[in-house]
Amino acid sequence: MDILALLAFDDTGWGDEMLMGMVITLLVSVSAMAIGLVFSVFATMSKLSNNVFSRVLGNTYTTVVRGIPELLVIYLFFFGFNNALMAAAKSLFNYHEYFEFPVFLTAAIAVGIISGAYSTEVIRGSFLAVPKGQIEAAKSVGMSKFQIFHRILVPQVMRYALPGLGNVWQLTLKDTALISVMAIAEIMRTAQIAAGNTKEPFVFYIFAAILYLTLTTVSTHALNSAENWANKGVRRA
Amino acid sequence: MTISSGYFQMCEGLPGREGWLNFNLMCEKLPDLLKGVPLTIELVSISLFIGLFLALGIAMMRLSNNRVLNGFARGYVFYFRGSPLLVQVFLLYYGFGQFEFVQQSFLWPFLKEAYWCGILALTLNTGAYTAEIIRGGLQSVPFGQIESARAMGMSGLLLYRRIIFPIAFRQALPAYGNEMILMVKGTSLVSIITLMEITGIAKQIIAKYWTPVEIFLIAGLLYLILNFLVTQLVKYLEIKFTPYLRHPK
Amino acid sequence: MANALEIKHLVKSFGDLEVIKDVSLTADQGDVICIIGSSGSGKSTLLRCINLLETPNSGEVLVNGELIKMSLDKKGQPQPGDHLQVDRIRTKLAMVFQDFNLWSHMTVLQNVIEAPVHVQKINKIEATKCGLELLTKVGITEKADDYPSSLSGGQQQRVAIARALAVNPDILLFDEPTSSLDPELVGEVLKVMKSLAGEGRTMIVVTHEMGFAREVASKVVFLHNGRIEEQGAPSEIFNSPKSERLKQFLASNLEG
Repeated sequence: MDILALLAFDDTGWGDEMLMGMVITLLVSVSAMAIGLVFSVFATMSKLSNNVFSRVLGNTYTTVVRGIPELLVIYLFFFGFNNALMAAAKSLFNYHEYFEFPVFLTAAIAVGIISGAYSTEVIRGSFLAVPKGQIEAAKSVGMSKFQIFHRILVPQVMRYALPGLGNVWQLTLKDTALISVMAIAEIMRTAQIAAGNTKEPFVFYIFAAILYLTLTTVSTHALNSAENWANKGVRRA
Repeated sequence: MTISSGYFQMCEGLPGREGWLNFNLMCEKLPDLLKGVPLTIELVSISLFIGLFLALGIAMMRLSNNRVLNGFARGYVFYFRGSPLLVQVFLLYYGFGQFEFVQQSFLWPFLKEAYWCGILALTLNTGAYTAEIIRGGLQSVPFGQIESARAMGMSGLLLYRRIIFPIAFRQALPAYGNEMILMVKGTSLVSIITLMEITGIAKQIIAKYWTPVEIFLIAGLLYLILNFLVTQLVKYLEIKFTPYLRHPK
Repeated sequence: MANALEIKHLVKSFGDLEVIKDVSLTADQGDVICIIGSSGSGKSTLLRCINLLETPNSGEVLVNGELIKMSLDKKGQPQPGDHLQVDRIRTKLAMVFQDFNLWSHMTVLQNVIEAPVHVQKINKIEATKCGLELLTKVGITEKADDYPSSLSGGQQQRVAIARALAVNPDILLFDEPTSSLDPELVGEVLKVMKSLAGEGRTMIVVTHEMGFAREVASKVVFLHNGRIEEQGAPSEIFNSPKSERLKQFLASNLEG
């Protein structure tokens, strides 16, 4: 069997399935990144708060999640999340029926929690990188706390955070390969199935690698132009 | 024998399935998970050690003016940093094995073993990341400091050995510390190609007893301890090699 | 009519270190008060206590006769009593910083109209018109749409002055406005400050520029170790200093 036939877009070839896998990978990555960003906003606030308890909570989240293999976190969610949700539904809403939470969302939440821990570190660092003088100047003209936050802090934090969040995105993209263990038909899982069916693992894993490299390369270029846009007003060293 | 039976007797006394966490099971399965620790440490240290030399080579190629060497290094780093480690592992373990010529080559005794395949994948992967860390370290050496060394008559290997490498090493240390942690976590992937390190054993127990939270907690704790040790090691090295960056008091 | 600014028995300490020890000071409408003293004497801290960038431990600050209310937090530390009042009074007390502190993500003009539009809720078209006038006044109209990082230090500081003027303040606070500048750029900033003094603006200036203090100030205050060691008209301070410390300070700061 030649390679073109293996990767053809027809019933016998796996080209369409692999491309569909790439779309799923992209969808999980985007959802996970978004979920992670929501997590990281709360985690950053608790890490920067004056309350000892919430600081400990935030630090525990980032230290634990960044120190444990992603695969282990995926297993935890794969085997435990649905049961935990059912137990919660039982005790909170007295709901006793069996249900199955969509596995796609379980995967997105699992990867999102990992991605969020890295985003938290990026955003926290960016907050601390805003020079104190920028805030003092805002105070000196009588801006309120809320005005300082959304007129001065947020725009500057976004600019500082963009390169770091770009790295987190690349990380998230690659981490989604692990959800193949949850039997979600993203790139990796599709490649496994195709390799098993055709006994041509080399072709399909190379093709999987090429698809990931395409995603990461396109992301790099997109992120570079986003950074250039966001960095107007900043002199290049 | 008596120690272990005493241990399991102690585990019996802990709350079991009826509680919110099955402490009894956690206690009973701890020794099983601990058996995975040596393999994890082995995989990490062997691949980090070989990977460091590989990385030095790649970094030198990347900085050289030879277009072939430079292009190879670029492509190498691009592939290994741009694709997931899992793909790299699968390609080595399943992908290359399908070819007749690989099966007949002298490498086959290694490549057919999940253990060596895992080490090779981890080594090649850390080689790419570490090469970039080394390159960043080398490029961060301030030009003025190199110039002043030249002005003192240093050049070639002496310049590298006395000035450039020491400064680059100190500069790169924190990033390399992160890479070491990534490798500790990366070893978990070889469980998918049947190696029974910590994560592999954890998955086995979870699938058998259906106790994801309990086993996640212990296995996670083992990884956190390993990574804590890594951070302490890096901290020690930093203090030892960068006295001029130490804060007063 | 009330004094423009009145400081009564102000005390400020950082931990155990008492930086300002019972300082009282009054400024009338149109006064230019120059605060001089060696570094570490508390000059900048005193200035920052006026607009509550530092919270004084005790004492009172009155702006146009209005007392800035203080209260105590849970740990018994003093804190501003009414944040709305503080924000309102701060627009009457514009400040120019040593390091300019222009907002790096906004253009020059955006920096100038930020507070008028968003704090004082002035119509944006109106604010832009005033902003451009102020930029003309400080002599950098042509840079209105540039970002601060492309400007020289002197230009940045002139923008910062325009930004301070934009809120139409009653009192201008200057915190060593020329100390971060290259010597050849100091002149352009001092020139702008002189013209402001000429308009009869009330200014409190912490400075090392003795020439400026001698020429422009209506009153010079010499601060030493957190206390006012001596104060008076520039002619008295510079020509017939009484205290030994002021004599020493002037001897080491006047040459050149």
